[in-house]
Amino acid sequence: MSPVLLDVNGLTTRFATRAGSLNAVEDVSFTVAEGEIVGLVGESGSGKSVTGFSILGLIDPPGRIVAGSVKLNGRELVGLSHAALRSMRGREIAMVFQDPSATLNPVLTIETQMRLAIAAHESLGDAAARARCIEVLGAVGIPDAARRIEAYPHQFSGGMRQRVAIAIALLNRPKLIICDEPTTALDVSIQAQILTEMKSLAARLGTAMIWISHDLATVSSVASRILVMYAGRLIEAGPIAEVLRQPRHPYTRGLLGSLPGIARPGQDLVQIPGAMPSLIDLPQGCAFQPRCGFADAQCATMPALSAEGARSFRCHHPLAAETAP
Amino acid sequence: MTTAQPAMLVEVEAVSKRFTPQLSLGDRLAALLGSPVETRTVHAVDRVSFGLEQGEVLGLVGESGCGKSTLGRVIAGIHPPSEGRASIAGETVMGDGRTPLKRTTRIQMVFQDPFASLDPRVRIGETISEGPLAHGLVSRTDAPAYVARWLTAVGLPVEAAERFPHQFSGGQRQRVAIARALAMQPDVLVCDEPVASLDVSIQAQIINLFLKLRRELGLTMLFISHDLGVVRHLCDRVAIMYLGRIVEIGPAAEIFAAPRHPYTRALLDSVPKLVTGSDELVTFKPIQGELPSPLSPPPGCHFHQRCPRAEARCRSDAPQLAGGTDEGTGHRVSCHFPLAGEA
Ligand SMILES: Nc1ncnc2c1ncn2[C@@H]1O[C@H](COP(=O)(O)OP(=O)(O)OP(=O)(O)O)[C@@H](O)[C@H]1O
Ligand SMILES: Nc1ncnc2c1ncn2[C@@H]1O[C@H](COP(=O)(O)OP(=O)(O)OP(=O)(O)O)[C@@H](O)[C@H]1O
Ligand code: SF4
Ligand SMILES: [Mg+2]
Ligand SMILES: [Mg+2]
Repeated sequence: MSPVLLDVNGLTTRFATRAGSLNAVEDVSFTVAEGEIVGLVGESGSGKSVTGFSILGLIDPPGRIVAGSVKLNGRELVGLSHAALRSMRGREIAMVFQDPSATLNPVLTIETQMRLAIAAHESLGDAAARARCIEVLGAVGIPDAARRIEAYPHQFSGGMRQRVAIAIALLNRPKLIICDEPTTALDVSIQAQILTEMKSLAARLGTAMIWISHDLATVSSVASRILVMYAGRLIEAGPIAEVLRQPRHPYTRGLLGSLPGIARPGQDLVQIPGAMPSLIDLPQGCAFQPRCGFADAQCATMPALSAEGARSFRCHHPLAAETAP
Repeated sequence: MTTAQPAMLVEVEAVSKRFTPQLSLGDRLAALLGSPVETRTVHAVDRVSFGLEQGEVLGLVGESGCGKSTLGRVIAGIHPPSEGRASIAGETVMGDGRTPLKRTTRIQMVFQDPFASLDPRVRIGETISEGPLAHGLVSRTDAPAYVARWLTAVGLPVEAAERFPHQFSGGQRQRVAIARALAMQPDVLVCDEPVASLDVSIQAQIINLFLKLRRELGLTMLFISHDLGVVRHLCDRVAIMYLGRIVEIGPAAEIFAAPRHPYTRALLDSVPKLVTGSDELVTFKPIQGELPSPLSPPPGCHFHQRCPRAEARCRSDAPQLAGGTDEGTGHRVSCHFPLAGEA
């Protein structure tokens, strides 16, 4: 096992809203080893992006990290000054967003933007900087990078723009890249190209990744470990093939049952009744309780995250290890 | 479409749809000054023909921009076709006069975004009864009971009629949109990505609802989606679209097991699969290159630039959608060098 790169412990991020305050992320703990790809999945609003933003120190008022710690190579990031965080971002941890326009400035050429990103952390000569940009663009599969580097973002297709955003994330050779649904908006054929490239790049450069997605199949094809979130909490974690083969949390099993492609065509899918509760108005105890077929009186108290070997789950009545979905 | 097939409920005959931008004065000036203003015609749908049998669900699959929504809208009578004709039981869906008018209520459409397709100021009950009242399908006195019936059919409580859209979750709003379409008592439902914006657990609920409606009402559906898993689960037949044309059509089980068009094969290979064995190697075979622009589709077969089987002929002659070795199943493919069709 490679040494631990990122250690998140008890992370809790709270937002004050007009309707009340909510913990978008609550008591989340996990680690990422050097060079490891970890998938973070969950339904919309379960706290995946806020987890990513919290790690990067990108939470602004009315949001605040109210508890927990985030350590990168042993160094605490929670509570660092804005300046210290800025110098860490991009250089040590980079982020790729679903929408590349969050990263790309429409009025600057690709080259200018890439060189600004390098200059933020390092002073390289003109020729060396340009060469680095072209090399990285080539690595993410942009053909004819030496010429296309002079283009503006709008001259690229959506898939190409996302590749540029990924190239910018790679520029300063960070140890960790947080990818927040980077291929969700893209067509399957382009998604497959980017997944393949990201995976081989990470392997070649030894870059660790947190791959955020709501799509279990995508995550299962890139990550070696999976974290499942529900209503702000981590409810199951473990080696991905094991978790998908034998989920221990009723919610994870429900998610797998919801996927068309596992059931026979035309048969009713196993469905989870209801919807995820509002974070402002969570049920007592386990947040999944109102939708769960196994719930009983005990579930009105919050189950702890219990560990069994490499796996962990937060449930009073975990599924037996041999029940396959 | 002269082949002797069973009588189709819906006939789509050589439908083409082009969009020519209507430029404002400002756009024209900007174009003159060299700004990237698009002035060319988009060939969104290019001579598409197929039929829908009574009671069947046909999936329409393809990548973004290939023309799925446009084709769905022409069939549902929202856009007039530039050429060709869509008809239901022999009746043209939309007249092609100078002011084309939708002529039938027998086709209804359900859209992707349940947030945008419902008016936030109108109570659910009114949203559902508006169309049926306007078309005399129900009287004002019977409207509440009529609304209740359709709310029940889509799995919503009867009290929902009194509420506004914002009081519902995404999945519930999509149920409302489906109830609104069904209340028009259509023979055919065109669904444009109806589950794409929903979370998996909610998506499963809506897919089950479609399965139930199908069983109970015998609905005929054109189901547009880019999600091959959903289509495979729900549809009897599939049509694969690429850059405005249907490249392959046939029974879902057959196409998923043994696609014959190189594009279909490549598309199936691009889809990430759930990997549950630690020793399973994930090997995508991504399609090379990107979708060409519909502003200047390549000559010949639209797929030839990305196709591993392309030969000289593919660059000049557009292949026709033709029956393969197995005409009996209606499996047709538009390719000069189709795959053998083994799994
Ligand atoms: N700036 C904010 N102010 C108030 N609430 C917020 C803010 N940002 C996020 N939240 C809330 O935090 C919760 C978690 O949001 P988050 O964006 O992390 O979800 P997610 O899992 O990434 O969902 P998605 O799949 O939709 O991207 C949501 O309920 C959201 O409404
Ligand atoms: N009203 C319109 N005016 C001009 N061009 C249009 C219009 N509607 C669609 N198009 C163009 O026609 C082509 C086909 O679009 P369409 O929306 O039918 O694709 P689609 O297959 O539904 O894609 P998606 O999966 O992204 O929904 C695209 O190039 C699109 O830009
Ligand atoms: S703790 Fe109880 S309610 Fe929650 S998932 Fe486990 S069994 Fe279900
Ligand atoms: Mg998010
Ligand atoms: Mg569309």
